[in-house]
Amino acid sequence: MTARVLKPAPAWLVSSEQPIGPGRVGRRKRAAFLEKTLGDGAEVVRRAMYAESADPRGDRPGVLFRIDPRIKLVALVVLLLGVALVHTPVTLAVVYLGLVLLAWAGGVSVGAFVTRVWLFVPLFTAVALAPATLSVITPGEVLVPLWTWHGAQEGITSQGLTSAGLVILRVACSVSLVLLVTISTSWNRLLAALGALGVPRIFVMVIAMAYRYLFVLLGSVLDMVLARKARTVQPVAHTAGDRRFVGAAVGTLLGRAGHLSEEVHQAMTARGYAGQHHTLTGFRASGLDLLALAASLMVAVVIVGGDHLLR
Amino acid sequence: MADTEIVFHAKGLGYTYLDRYPALDDVSFQIRRGERIALLGANGSGKSTLLKILDGLVFPTSGELSAYGQPLTEESLADPAVNARFRSRVGIVFQNSDVQVFSATVREEIAFGCLQLGLSAAETAARTADVLDMLEIEDLTDRTPFLLSGGQKKKVALASVLVMNPEVILFDEPTAALDPRTQHWLIDLIAQLGEAGKTVVLATHDLHTLADLTDRAIIFGENHRVLADTQTRAILADRSQLIAANLIHDHEV
Repeated sequence: MTARVLKPAPAWLVSSEQPIGPGRVGRRKRAAFLEKTLGDGAEVVRRAMYAESADPRGDRPGVLFRIDPRIKLVALVVLLLGVALVHTPVTLAVVYLGLVLLAWAGGVSVGAFVTRVWLFVPLFTAVALAPATLSVITPGEVLVPLWTWHGAQEGITSQGLTSAGLVILRVACSVSLVLLVTISTSWNRLLAALGALGVPRIFVMVIAMAYRYLFVLLGSVLDMVLARKARTVQPVAHTAGDRRFVGAAVGTLLGRAGHLSEEVHQAMTARGYAGQHHTLTGFRASGLDLLALAASLMVAVVIVGGDHLLR
Repeated sequence: MADTEIVFHAKGLGYTYLDRYPALDDVSFQIRRGERIALLGANGSGKSTLLKILDGLVFPTSGELSAYGQPLTEESLADPAVNARFRSRVGIVFQNSDVQVFSATVREEIAFGCLQLGLSAAETAARTADVLDMLEIEDLTDRTPFLLSGGQKKKVALASVLVMNPEVILFDEPTAALDPRTQHWLIDLIAQLGEAGKTVVLATHDLHTLADLTDRAIIFGENHRVLADTQTRAILADRSQLIAANLIHDHEV
């Protein structure tokens, strides 16, 4: 058998011509919005899930890190309920300050803790709540007049601001509570604790899978955006071609993510995973855990009771 | 040889993706305990699919497969006891190490399999420490696996399988995308495992180290059928067979 003879390459491929372009080159631009957003998003998720996930083997882990994850989950539910029942902004503000204090005392980086909460709260809550501050939605005493309607001043009302503040503070407190638990507990132990508390196996498995696939998905998105960037030398107009790229990328991404996630699941199955998480360090409730549970119950009662008195 | 020594027995295996794209067609063979076998074939010839079938991760669309004398089917593996027994005896090292490292730390990653199979935490921790030491990756213990380099990830993936001490180890393109030093390290390790009596099945199209690592080779053609099943050295000497399987090109010989 003889070697297959290659077809001759086109002349332009074997000539020593200059590379294509640069042609029409735009001004130096800052990183594209899409690429930057995706890159930053990936980094935030990575940090949130790995870099700062708790490692109880640290030199001097804080007290929050040492509490049994099952107790932390029960306390979380109790305190979330307590926060949900509060109706005055003052109580919520006190609760929030208490949580920041707890983070500091519990060995959690306060800077990262506060930043992470206030990074998401304005974005997802304040924007959605902005219309509720207006007199057309929440009538009341107009603090900031914006326009007149039939001779009456309309704008941001005191009642509207109070309602929005209440929701924002409630969201901030709830997100802070969840963050305190997730920051101070490694992911595997958190999943194991959910299982130990009787959360259905399929539910835990879905959470575990979602967690793994998030990384797979982010990696794929970044790869695609970077691959496109490597072939782009000038600003891309928002044309039909551009939209086609996004459409095709979404399709490719779904296909690739589906394939990779299937392999991740196969890799877990191959090592005996059947929906139940087991961890190296077992759960053992100590005096500290019981104290934490009692304290969280007491705090929840104080929050709801105090709020009732303030109303 | 007695039937008990047969680890895998495949009869007329076929596998088709999406009912349209064939990956395996009428594949039959037996694998005995302690054998060191190469599955050879060009890209897309069905080697990786066969490894996943042997590990009970996907199931053939036609034909029969038994492992340790018992049918290896979705139904049989639905029994937790059967599943645990099989998983503890057969391990697989994926080609893409990224899919195989999913825990928060290397220690948790390596411990994962043993813990799922019910080994005590103390025993698992001891085994994990032994494997970390054996593969000389103690310095990675508390690192996050997905942040490691390709070679380090491969070592962690391998450690996560070795710690379970399986009788059979399936390797999918073990040396792909590794630097030369890590490749040689891995080849030595596979050879060591084979000498220790492990049944080693490796899917590859890299012929360079095959004679040292395996005694027998099954060649898959581009039609997804078995072209040859014989001694590795005999296959490596059969140039026309290797060309037919698209494993070598004329100017390579």
